[in-house]
Amino acid sequence: MSRRSLIAAILATAVVTAIVSVSVTRITGQTSRPARTSDGKPNFSGVWQVANEANWDLQAHEARAGAVTQRGVYPYAYAEVPAAPVLALGAAAGVPGSIGVVQGDKQIPYTAAAAMRKADNAAHWIDRDPELKCYLPGVPRATYMPYPFQIVQSGPKIQMIYTFANAARTIHLDNVVGPPDDTWMGHSVGRWEGDTLVVDVTHFNDKTWFDRAGNFHSDALHVVERFTPISADALRYEATIEDPKVFSRPWTIAMPIYRRLEPDIQLLDYPCIDFTEEFMYGHLRKQQLVKHWEGDTIAVDIRRKVPPGEQLFDWYGK
Amino acid sequence: MPTKLTVLVMMTGVWLAGTAVPLQAHHAFAAEFDANKPVHFEGTVTKMEWINPHVWLHMDVKKPDGTVENWAFEAGTPNVLFRRGFTKESLLPGTKVVVEGYQAKNGLKRANGRDLTFPDGKKLFLGSSGTGAPYELTPNNQKAPPKN
Amino acid sequence: MRKRLLPVLGVAGVILAVIVVLKVAPAGSATPQGSRTGWGDPDLQGIWTDDYQTPLQRPAKYATKELFTDEERAELDRQRAGILRRDQRVEVGSERDVAGAYNAVFQSIKHTGKRTSLVVDPPDGRIPELTPAAKERAATDRQFRLALLQATQTCKDNDAACAGGKYGPPSPRRAEVPPFYNTGRLNRSDGPEDRSMTERCMAAVMPDFGGYRRIVQAPGTVSIFYDVGQGQGWQRVITLEQVPHLPSSVRQRFGDSRGHWEGNTLVVDVTNFSPKSDFMGARENLHLVERWTRVDAKTLEYTVTIEDPTTWTRSWTVKQEMSRQDDQANRIYYEPRCHEGNYGLPALLSGTRAEEDAFKAGKGPDPATKDSATDFGTEGGVDALTGGG
Repeated sequence: MSRRSLIAAILATAVVTAIVSVSVTRITGQTSRPARTSDGKPNFSGVWQVANEANWDLQAHEARAGAVTQRGVYPYAYAEVPAAPVLALGAAAGVPGSIGVVQGDKQIPYTAAAAMRKADNAAHWIDRDPELKCYLPGVPRATYMPYPFQIVQSGPKIQMIYTFANAARTIHLDNVVGPPDDTWMGHSVGRWEGDTLVVDVTHFNDKTWFDRAGNFHSDALHVVERFTPISADALRYEATIEDPKVFSRPWTIAMPIYRRLEPDIQLLDYPCIDFTEEFMYGHLRKQQLVKHWEGDTIAVDIRRKVPPGEQLFDWYGK
Repeated sequence: MPTKLTVLVMMTGVWLAGTAVPLQAHHAFAAEFDANKPVHFEGTVTKMEWINPHVWLHMDVKKPDGTVENWAFEAGTPNVLFRRGFTKESLLPGTKVVVEGYQAKNGLKRANGRDLTFPDGKKLFLGSSGTGAPYELTPNNQKAPPKN
Repeated sequence: MRKRLLPVLGVAGVILAVIVVLKVAPAGSATPQGSRTGWGDPDLQGIWTDDYQTPLQRPAKYATKELFTDEERAELDRQRAGILRRDQRVEVGSERDVAGAYNAVFQSIKHTGKRTSLVVDPPDGRIPELTPAAKERAATDRQFRLALLQATQTCKDNDAACAGGKYGPPSPRRAEVPPFYNTGRLNRSDGPEDRSMTERCMAAVMPDFGGYRRIVQAPGTVSIFYDVGQGQGWQRVITLEQVPHLPSSVRQRFGDSRGHWEGNTLVVDVTNFSPKSDFMGARENLHLVERWTRVDAKTLEYTVTIEDPTTWTRSWTVKQEMSRQDDQANRIYYEPRCHEGNYGLPALLSGTRAEEDAFKAGKGPDPATKDSATDFGTEGGVDALTGGG
């Protein structure tokens, strides 16, 4: 071959290689976000977040003046005002309205006794909601906490990583032995039904809540979740909740989950064990630390109390 | 006597990584329990809390005057036992256990389980349930007695 | 021209095929069979831990000897299995006995490993010297801790835990704020900050050498879930996207990780540590470069180069081999959290308040004379590899 032909061949090769390698990178490049994984399943890997008010209250509700309220001038429930724990935060302390996430008749089918306990929980939100103590949120609450979470999807294992309290769980799609005792986040076993990831969660203890409204469960809780793609950047999440000790029948919540599309999105710490120490242990200090705050129109004084005897430990949720 | 290395660790206030279980108990038991209030009970397990950082054993104990009180005893981490194959079925309510320990400084019916044994003197949680952590070095004083 | 086109295309085709094959084929040397993920990355997945006990630093007597002999390992195993640890009882009614806490059955010991130290660089297997500033910080910190121990039996007995201190009446320094953000046990319980990060259920640090880790991978991301000690677990995500680290104003408890593949090795750069994190005295200036390599089906090699020019005079490197654990038996206790069950911390605080009340009423000793920090050392014998009991 002549030298000119050889040069022509090399140039042609270079051009074609350039074209091919661009398309090759798109298939095998590690920064790609394919709609399907290498084993043909929908690709749920990435950072996600819900955009609803479920963590406040799963059921439909209108907005409220404060996370904690008290009677206002009038004796009507609709005229309540923010109570002392939240008053100083003004409009930032209210509860947003919600169309609710409970499906079907939109009711949570408590037994009569359990319904009373739910009302009691709601009336004692500050003392009893495990979220305030930075306890693990459980399932399904971890999904709709107001923080992003991340899914790392491998074939036999799917890791779910939550910002809140650095919570995490592994969804096992392979054969695995159950845990030796009950847990906060449950034991998650997954399988595919077409394009839907179905997750069966069992082995719960009785310590988590479903939201800030006092919705709760027992250690008989059984949750079945379904994750179904709506598009590459949104999925439909359903969770069916069954607990014969608390509910008269199973019930279901559903909501979209949206992908966080910022190109450099990552989970940041929410180190709430640290943040909540004063709330949880400040009443046991040698000298009270947080006592007083002063603004232009309001001064806040804090008095701490130590529950007597075993109630000291009961407060921690044992 | 602690070695110089241990002293260095304590004096710089840093927990030395490199071991699966910390050198010290999760927290200072000497700060929680009172050396002047030793307790020694035989009782019946009512509930087990297999939780981190410490397992809690709840027991009905009969006092010398015949009354029955419910006490809670704090022991070690469950992780080590779980890895040896123990589960929540491994110590069931109704089991008779002997506890020696020290009562909590705050005066509540709580103590540490300094020594947990069955009435025959055998220590609780010895050996493993078959799926035990294969990498462990079994201490001489915890080898299971030979089968007869 | 046409007569020459065919051979030209033929050569071009061959050259193209060769280039495409080289680009698409995995880079680097031949890898163990079946150790690639479905999308072609090296597969590091599974539950891993170091099955053996290796001291972090090489005891001085071994100098540059990197490996134990089999006889030395067997002898160390004998010695370590023979000590009673927490089962050693001392005088009933003594604080030392209380500090023993519970039976040794709750302690886990591993067989002696082959290496004389986890530290492989510097070649003497020992952590480099502290900088003058770090030495001064350590001395200032030590003086404060010793002052808090001053009135205790530990110092009266001239126990090694009081080395550098003295015995005397309760020090006026007991009313001071610690000189630095405290992460260890002080001999004081005015509030939770006086207790160790372990007691506050925030003890986990990067890097960790002793725990279990579950690795799960997806394209562009590696998840590592750590199970450490008595429930000090945590979750970490390493992005493989080529994006810069977080801004320097954003600090994270376990740093900020950025990874990439070099052949079969995952190389991770970790920066942006929080000043509340404490790895052997290094705080926010800690910088790690990790290398994770699956050597064979059952072995994951982990090396980490550790540097902090405000703490050590040079960088140092740790190397360890981890073995794959039985996933079927779910050997990781995947809820390694102690915060939800941490009754010990409020009990310790309320107990100390009760002691203070008793002292004020003339009914008990001054709490300043009690030692709630050192655990009184190792009555049950000293483990040659850990230095503890």
